[in-house]
Amino acid sequence: MAPVDDDEEEDGVVEDEDEFEHLDDEEFEGIDQDTVNLRKGKDQTPPPLEITKIPLHLRTNWDSFYLEMLMLAGLAVYFLNFIAGKTKNSKLATAWFDAHKELLHKEFSIVGDDGQSKEPTENHLLKESEHTYSLWCSGRVCCEGMLVELKLLKRQDLINTISRMLSPKSDQILIKVTMEETEMDSFVFAVAQKKVASKLLKEQTDLNFFCAEKKGIDKGNIPPSLQVLSEIGEATSAVFDKTFCAVLNRYESNIEFIHFSDQYSGPKQQDQDTPTTLPETKKVLLFCFNVGDKGRTTVEDMDGMKELLQLVIHCIDKVKRIKLTKEAKMKAEKNRQRMHESYLKQTHSQRQEAAQLRREEKRRTEKERIMNEEDPDKQRKLEERENRREMKRKQPKMKMMKVKSM
Amino acid sequence: MSSHNSANDPRRPNKIHRYTPPSSTGPLEDPTPEYMNLLGMIFSMFGLMMKVKWCAWAAVYCSFISFANSRASEDAKQLLSSFMLSISAVVMTYLQNPQPMTPPW
Repeated sequence: MAPVDDDEEEDGVVEDEDEFEHLDDEEFEGIDQDTVNLRKGKDQTPPPLEITKIPLHLRTNWDSFYLEMLMLAGLAVYFLNFIAGKTKNSKLATAWFDAHKELLHKEFSIVGDDGQSKEPTENHLLKESEHTYSLWCSGRVCCEGMLVELKLLKRQDLINTISRMLSPKSDQILIKVTMEETEMDSFVFAVAQKKVASKLLKEQTDLNFFCAEKKGIDKGNIPPSLQVLSEIGEATSAVFDKTFCAVLNRYESNIEFIHFSDQYSGPKQQDQDTPTTLPETKKVLLFCFNVGDKGRTTVEDMDGMKELLQLVIHCIDKVKRIKLTKEAKMKAEKNRQRMHESYLKQTHSQRQEAAQLRREEKRRTEKERIMNEEDPDKQRKLEERENRREMKRKQPKMKMMKVKSM
Repeated sequence: MSSHNSANDPRRPNKIHRYTPPSSTGPLEDPTPEYMNLLGMIFSMFGLMMKVKWCAWAAVYCSFISFANSRASEDAKQLLSSFMLSISAVVMTYLQNPQPMTPPW
């Protein structure tokens, strides 16, 4: 019986028949039957309780899904923030528009054209996205049009909202006035917050080239936090009249940058290869204003921007009246010539390479065509083309020699 | 009507230029919606293939962020399709594996 006791202690381990080898079959009759019966009996006693595995979703309560609940809650929060941010931005944009509508209608013939219909339409504040609104005004002396972009903060994006808590930013109004070709003399000028000024100097093609000098600039009566970048000192002094300086002093924190240029072509395209054509330039006046107090903008702040819009109008008229003296004009002309030449130099080698590539490609395509033709035709064409090429190659050398001999 | 004011009135109805939407400035523009769209698609495909639940949830978030940051000129159909894809990824992973997510801690 000892082996059986051991087995009971070992929790129902199935015995090997080898264990009973030492027991003689003769001695113990019917032992196999007994052991079989014993084994069966042991099996019948309930094995240690095993909880059968029921699928989880049938037995659980909702508590175990708490991570999923968290996810859904996060989505709900994001959605609520989206709605709240979108409404606030929309309110700010319409507040700006309502505050400035009158002034704009006085100055421009068409305010808020959407460019869609045949006839110019009015009062369309275009929604570029949930945080960008734009307004196009046109029909005025000396300027082609004025595009006002309200670059509001991304209040509809929760991630942006959180990152703004760490580094506050302001809503911005970017005004781009495109001057008519004849109405602006050639000069490049900018006044900006110090950090912004250095950034602009690096990024903007025209400022980078024309306003590299930092000395000898007549700053006039402007606040110290603003830096001036100027090409023609005369033009700069002309811009810095009483009204301009007064407004700058009063709205010092609201001015991000003001940039006048007759060679405006946007920021430098650093990742492209130098293009083979000079970038298109326009005569523009750019104004970038910060609204409100680092993100905490209210509807009233939008009202307070009216004076800055009046500054814009004032500048348009002022720039039209600026006439450079002869000297200044010569200097400006020289600078622009210099820019053109340096551009040509930069692209010269590239244009040569491009031309060579083109020539090679042409030869390759011709050869392919020849290869595809049948034999007699091929030979004829080969000969013809080879002759032509030899003539071409010889001719310029001959011309050069003629000149030399003379 | 304002003929006697025309000297002072700066408006010139004959000089109207129509609004032309500025051509997209390419890399200068904020690339967030495109990145988020791509990321959302990648997450949802990964979540579907590998049956990883948190990937599918991340895909839903990404497509939502992409939608919030999108420009009005962008195709609404693409945004909607990426949103539907991420939701289907979540549903599929839960149908295949109904257990709740286990936190990594």
